[in-house]
Amino acid sequence: MTFAQAAEEHLDDVYGYLAWFTGDRAAADDLAGETFERALRLWHRFDPERGSARTWLFQVARTTALDHFRSERRRTRREQLAAVPERYEERFAEGLAADLQAALGALNAGEREVVALRIVLDMDANSAARVLGISPTNVTTRLNRALKKLEEALSVAA
Amino acid sequence: MSQRDLAAELRASRVTAPDEVREHVRLIAAAETAPPRKFTWRRALVVTLPVAAAIAAAIVFTRPDHQQRVVHGVVVTTPDRALDKLDKLGAPARTPALQAQVGAAGSTAGEPKAFAPVPPRGRVVQYDAALSLRVASPTAVSAAVKRALRIATSLGGFPISVHASTQAKSGTADLTLKIPRQHVQEAVARLSALGTITGEQVDLQDLQAGINATNREIARLQQTLATLRAQPQTPVTERKIAALTARIANLQRGTADTRRTAHYATVTLHVATPQRAVHKAHHGPLHGLVVALRWIGIAAIYVLALGAPALLLVGLGWLAVRTIRRRRENALLSRP
Repeated sequence: MTFAQAAEEHLDDVYGYLAWFTGDRAAADDLAGETFERALRLWHRFDPERGSARTWLFQVARTTALDHFRSERRRTRREQLAAVPERYEERFAEGLAADLQAALGALNAGEREVVALRIVLDMDANSAARVLGISPTNVTTRLNRALKKLEEALSVAA
Repeated sequence: MSQRDLAAELRASRVTAPDEVREHVRLIAAAETAPPRKFTWRRALVVTLPVAAAIAAAIVFTRPDHQQRVVHGVVVTTPDRALDKLDKLGAPARTPALQAQVGAAGSTAGEPKAFAPVPPRGRVVQYDAALSLRVASPTAVSAAVKRALRIATSLGGFPISVHASTQAKSGTADLTLKIPRQHVQEAVARLSALGTITGEQVDLQDLQAGINATNREIARLQQTLATLRAQPQTPVTERKIAALTARIANLQRGTADTRRTAHYATVTLHVATPQRAVHKAHHGPLHGLVVALRWIGIAAIYVLALGAPALLLVGLGWLAVRTIRRRRENALLSRP
């Protein structure tokens, strides 16, 4: 598989993951480009025997997103805007009910990414664990906690 | 809403990348070039295994040869070079302070004569020679000792010390002989014929410069003495004359001693049977392999002893770094 084929095949998934992870479409647009640039540089390290290209691209996307979070946090601190954080309208996906959209906004980035990987992108526990760098059991625990939190938020809203 | 319904709704909401992002990624992918050669264990083994096999083979096949060389005691110094060195040293006018030390290579059966440089004529030189010989049996050791003593006496020399020891299959003897300097070449040549030469060393030290200096000192003192004798004799003058006379006598005795010592050359002879060669006969064809394996074992123990704690430290460090990184990551992602 060439890099171009992998990029074409998994672009939507990577973009979706970034959109869910960051909760910011504009950031996801930038990060998707950044992810594929980084992936192209590292493509020689990709080993199909160790995992699929999709999983590998998610790993690269996650690293890119984490760098983005870190730089955002530094920027926020530097500008002393921590007290009044800049809010953007979180829009994770089209076609979601408004209450679900609001409930998803209550999740933190770590919970959102596990929901995105395991449910939205339908990734198995082992692959998700590889992307997140934790054990499959931890993935399941984190997912259950996130879904419970969503459920509670939805019931409160109802 | 149950978790199942929730999951179904979330799954139904897949996100697609906007066209501009897709176009951007296509442009990035278009820059793809041929991937560089990747390092794989299979490739590494293809290179490593033949190299390891070649090294092992080299150890196995070259080790016995090396032992052979040690047994025969081959020294690297070439006799030609030693000859050149001593040719230069042979001219006393050009090299007043003569000092030479020459180690000659062990001769093979084809060249039984030992190398013995000619002592320079007209100069007082201290001459020391050491000769190592290999003989076939303990009986030959005894015979060689007897013949060496006969050679020394026939040339006007004498033995200073003789140590001989023989056992059933091996024997050694060490002799120190004093040979008149003018016969030393002949002595070394005849002694070298007693066995196969395995080592040889010749030391020449010029003593003439020292003797010349002493003679000049004596002449100067004698001149002073003559002046003192010409003066009216007082107790002080007499004391001075007595002291000078004693000093001159001492120096003359010293010079005479040096000349007497230098008259004889010291020849050290070591005769031995080839003990190591007997040992070597017991080594099987795989002896080199056994030696190589033993060294590999020793190396493995060192690697384990030093590598295990280092590995443990590296592992602990890696765990600590991973834990810190995870905590930071969790803190970063726990924000809403």
